[in-house]
Amino acid sequence: MDPTCRPAVIFDNGTGYSKLGFAGNSEPSFILPTVVGVNDSFLKNLRHTDSNSTDTANWLAQYNAGVMADLDFHIGDDALSKSGGIYTIDRPIRYSQVENWDTLEKFWQQSIYNYLRCDPEEHYFLLTDSPVTSPESREYMGEIMFETFNVPGLYIAVQSMLTLAAGYSTPKSDMTGVVVDIGDGAPQVVPVVNGYVIGSSMKSFPISGDDVTRFVLQLLQERGELIPPEDSMETARKIKEAYCYSCTDIVKEFERHDKKPDKYIKLWSGRKPKTGVPYSVDVGYERFLGPEIFFNPEIYCSDFITPLPDLIDMCVQSSPIDTRRALYKNIVLAGGGTIFKDFYKRLQNSVKKIVDDRIAANTARLGLDVKPQPVEVNVASNPIQGYAAWFGGSVVASLPEFYDSCHTKEEYEEYGASICRTSPIFKGMY
Amino acid sequence: MTVDAARQVQATDHPTNPANRPASVDQTFTDFDGVAYHLESPSKAGPLTLSMDIRCWSELVQAGAMDVLQREYGSWLRSSVEPEYSVTLEFDFAKVPAPGPERDALIESVSLLKRNAMAAPFERAFALQKQLEQASEGGQPAAPGEIMPINYRDDEAIYVIPSADRVTVVFSTTFKEETDKVLGKVFLQEFVDARRQPSIQNAPQVLYSNREPPLEVRKVAGLNRGEDVGYVTFVLFPRHFANAEVMAGTISRIQLFRDYLHYHIKCSKAYMHSRMRHRVAEFLKVLNRAKPELAEKERKTASGRTFRRA
Repeated sequence: MDPTCRPAVIFDNGTGYSKLGFAGNSEPSFILPTVVGVNDSFLKNLRHTDSNSTDTANWLAQYNAGVMADLDFHIGDDALSKSGGIYTIDRPIRYSQVENWDTLEKFWQQSIYNYLRCDPEEHYFLLTDSPVTSPESREYMGEIMFETFNVPGLYIAVQSMLTLAAGYSTPKSDMTGVVVDIGDGAPQVVPVVNGYVIGSSMKSFPISGDDVTRFVLQLLQERGELIPPEDSMETARKIKEAYCYSCTDIVKEFERHDKKPDKYIKLWSGRKPKTGVPYSVDVGYERFLGPEIFFNPEIYCSDFITPLPDLIDMCVQSSPIDTRRALYKNIVLAGGGTIFKDFYKRLQNSVKKIVDDRIAANTARLGLDVKPQPVEVNVASNPIQGYAAWFGGSVVASLPEFYDSCHTKEEYEEYGASICRTSPIFKGMY
Repeated sequence: MTVDAARQVQATDHPTNPANRPASVDQTFTDFDGVAYHLESPSKAGPLTLSMDIRCWSELVQAGAMDVLQREYGSWLRSSVEPEYSVTLEFDFAKVPAPGPERDALIESVSLLKRNAMAAPFERAFALQKQLEQASEGGQPAAPGEIMPINYRDDEAIYVIPSADRVTVVFSTTFKEETDKVLGKVFLQEFVDARRQPSIQNAPQVLYSNREPPLEVRKVAGLNRGEDVGYVTFVLFPRHFANAEVMAGTISRIQLFRDYLHYHIKCSKAYMHSRMRHRVAEFLKVLNRAKPELAEKERKTASGRTFRRA
């Protein structure tokens, strides 16, 4: 069974959700929360003993717990639904960085065998990681993949690069652009030039989709809407996903809401999880105030006040001067936090305004006769934004040159894990 | 193929489609043992086709796979097979039952396509065993039936041999990795020994031999006699396929034995890694405690100025 004849497996493990699937498909086979529910009840009893005796006692406890105790765990939605009992929830990836390799290994184990049901020895793997990941982290990834799962080949791609390779912003995928990735982890504004991330110009934005949910919840609760407290974040999240949108001007939007309340104010009805009693919530200004925190962070938190369009502009201005026009022309949105209706339009207008203002001020100050060519600002949006990195991975792994660019097991055996530190960009991507 | 993947077959429930209408889909995915699937529905009204490609299809057909599939899927089976695949099922959206237990049963049955195809040789073996048993009721035990090879992987095969009082299933297993080989040997020895535990007395008897093929399969052509080949023999007694339910369970389990074995080997490696990481963390703690004290040294130069070494 030649692994190069079979579709590669694409794993996009993110802070909030993992997207798993095979290359060549247009959407991932599974999107599940990056959560592992581990049953370590046999360990809990020994927490208070000192370190010397813990090991033997630990081992004994595990042995007595049964032969398959280390396999007693669930991942994804299964883990979340079983939480609270003997299973403790653990998130291996936080703020886009892998914190707990044991848990991640378990996650991969179940996702390969129970969800995707493929034999890892027969497929090449494409894993993704964040642009701020350390090279050691990539070495660990390679180690786990090659040693535990015996994969024949591995390619570790940066998520921003895959988003550009997804190629939906231009007819041919352009490997130069700014990727605005707003997921559950630390949202990043990443400039990529010819496939390489310009590390020094990356800007991070502390407000993620989770914060929008929190803000919506805060507004609803301040107004006195009755949301069952045990389910508040979940409810707020569903309301956000169903009703929030991005407006062009807050003041005008307030007026619109006030003039025609029946058109704009929506009703959310649900059932209380504990009692089953139905309840309903009015959703009004939250609909547009939620996504507004990206453009006016001061309404949400006081320690960070740079709006997102300004950040994008700062990021491009700090990149090499010859790349700036190309970067403005190709601003790509990715991640679940960007799929609000009209978000891309608002972002495009804001960034364009900043750029135009600056050029106009420059021209006026220097008294130039010849007007500089206007800078084209494009923010691209596409229905697959939620899993853009996965889709890019699927595109990249279907190219014939992909298999040659992977690190193979033979290379790993020969040179060690350090080969996984970088993965080359290859022809065919652009 | 998991039931989740099979739910895509009934794309009428496509989660992102609020109008609850069929959506177009085109996915390729795989299963264990090199099996590939292709799920396609070219348009919203078009029929949904699911094709499967198995390496050992011709042997399965010889063992009666088409009968089994006909029995399970009946009208869904399409006579014209998609090119490069072994078998195709076609679903006309109008004829698919509405959401409910009937549709769930259909989804489950479709997701077991590979299992049903591979079940054919086992079912035939069980039937043959009953025949042989009846034939030998007179007194003389009948000779064992013919061996059915299933070359489901490149260098591994399953051999099913029905006899008068049992059905023997022989797996030839190879491991490519050194660590896997060692772990595999230990595992398979344990399998043989585990039967001594009182709770699993009723399990089939397992025998393991490294390199030497067991007597029953010695005469099969093309037998793998390499150095890293191991042979695992399962002896299934009539009580393991006495009634339909037990038989179905036995077939499902024994089909996946090789993947089960490799899965557990990988899990053991993962577990050992976690123990190793834990050990490293402990050692690092000890190392960190062993730092020497930084003595603040004040030194004097010849002219009497003092300075501190940074």
